[in-house]
Amino acid sequence: MSYKVKLNIFEGPFDLLVYLIESARMSIYDIQVSQITSQYLSVIDEMKKSDVLVASEFMVLAATLIDIKSKMLLPRMSLDGNDGEYEDPRTALVQKLLEYKKFKAASELLTAREEDSLLIYEKPKEDLSIYTNDPDELLTLDINQFVRAFNDFVIKKRKVDEIRRNYERDERHRITTEARIQLITDRIAKEAGRTFSFFELIPDRGNTYDTALSFVSILEMLKQRKIDAKQKSLFGDITITATAYLMTGLDDSQGLQEESIYDK
Amino acid sequence: MTSKKSIKSAFESMMFIWGEPLSAKLAAEVFNIESKEAYDFFKELQSEYEEESRGIRIREVNKSFQFVTDSDNAEYIQRLCTPIKHRRLTQSALEVLAIIAYKQPVTRGEIEAIRGIKCDRVLEGLQKRELIEEVGRSTGIGRPILYGTTDAFLKYFGFASLRELPEIEDIESAIEFEESAGILDLQQIELEFPEGQQPSDE
Repeated sequence: MSYKVKLNIFEGPFDLLVYLIESARMSIYDIQVSQITSQYLSVIDEMKKSDVLVASEFMVLAATLIDIKSKMLLPRMSLDGNDGEYEDPRTALVQKLLEYKKFKAASELLTAREEDSLLIYEKPKEDLSIYTNDPDELLTLDINQFVRAFNDFVIKKRKVDEIRRNYERDERHRITTEARIQLITDRIAKEAGRTFSFFELIPDRGNTYDTALSFVSILEMLKQRKIDAKQKSLFGDITITATAYLMTGLDDSQGLQEESIYDK
Repeated sequence: MTSKKSIKSAFESMMFIWGEPLSAKLAAEVFNIESKEAYDFFKELQSEYEEESRGIRIREVNKSFQFVTDSDNAEYIQRLCTPIKHRRLTQSALEVLAIIAYKQPVTRGEIEAIRGIKCDRVLEGLQKRELIEEVGRSTGIGRPILYGTTDAFLKYFGFASLRELPEIEDIESAIEFEESAGILDLQQIELEFPEGQQPSDE
């Protein structure tokens, strides 16, 4: 608003006009158009002199005033010579000025209210996030996202449970093949020459893990030629007998050592 | 059923934490009571603070309530918080606001017709300060934007609701009164008038 800076007194052409009318102590219903127009134009001239860009709206009102002034100079008579239906050329302007004055009065009232309420202080809204624990994030989820998130949580929990179960079982069976071989060797050595059933070589608890561990141990011992094993039928019992090797060189590390020396 | 006394006490705590105007509806939901009931409780609290001349008062803004300071203490707050920032609205902003407040919803064209001058910048500024907002579009040619005032407007001028705006008829009658006082002047001018016309008649 280029004119706003320059014309800090008059907020617009109506403002200026109302000011001129009031300071001339003129009734708004009977504006002395000739007098007001010349005053109005001289104000605009002054504005121009002080190198002010006069807003086009001021010029529009100036033109309107001159128009009204010229109409006022014409005889107050309509074409058919009837004097009665003469319409005051100022009426439209007066209506506009009255409307403007009404709101100017309202704005003055607001100014007073503003003055009063500037004395009242409020606290700005404080950051409540320290109490709310990021509710925004939760609130932005729609129901599908929420269901998906819940499902993810359930699946994850199930996986974790499963892992935990396996982990616990692992811990329980920390027996290694080496330990089992030692156990079996001790057992066989006690009653050398006897034929053992595979099931005799499984410790008391005898679950799947123990069975598998004993089986793997026996395979390992077979490889080391410590035992002979026979299975007469498919899925039948396996019979195990100690070899001379087991009986002579109980220490398998010794045996291995001998073998490695032999290789050299 | 929670007692009235404890609800009112809770409302005080809630207003304290909330800072911004707390709507009666929201407060009512917390206690699962009717909004109207909550509203009445807030009004009771408001008058209690007033009766006791407390330094803190309760301000109503469009059925929401907020703790504010007593205006009598403004001077001490200003001494405490120096330099205090006072940003008053310009005369043109106030004029535009007055037009919007009374004629809302209103288009820019209507505002400009009343003021006789452009006001796009003023509208922009008022919108930025959230004192006014776009409330829709007129069905007229070009479907111009309609403007209305906001709750921030009510708060800024200390109105509890738009109903508190003085009747425009009251303002008009104030002008009418002024006019009737001017009738004497009118008659004086009437005397002058024929003189001015005489030369043109001759």
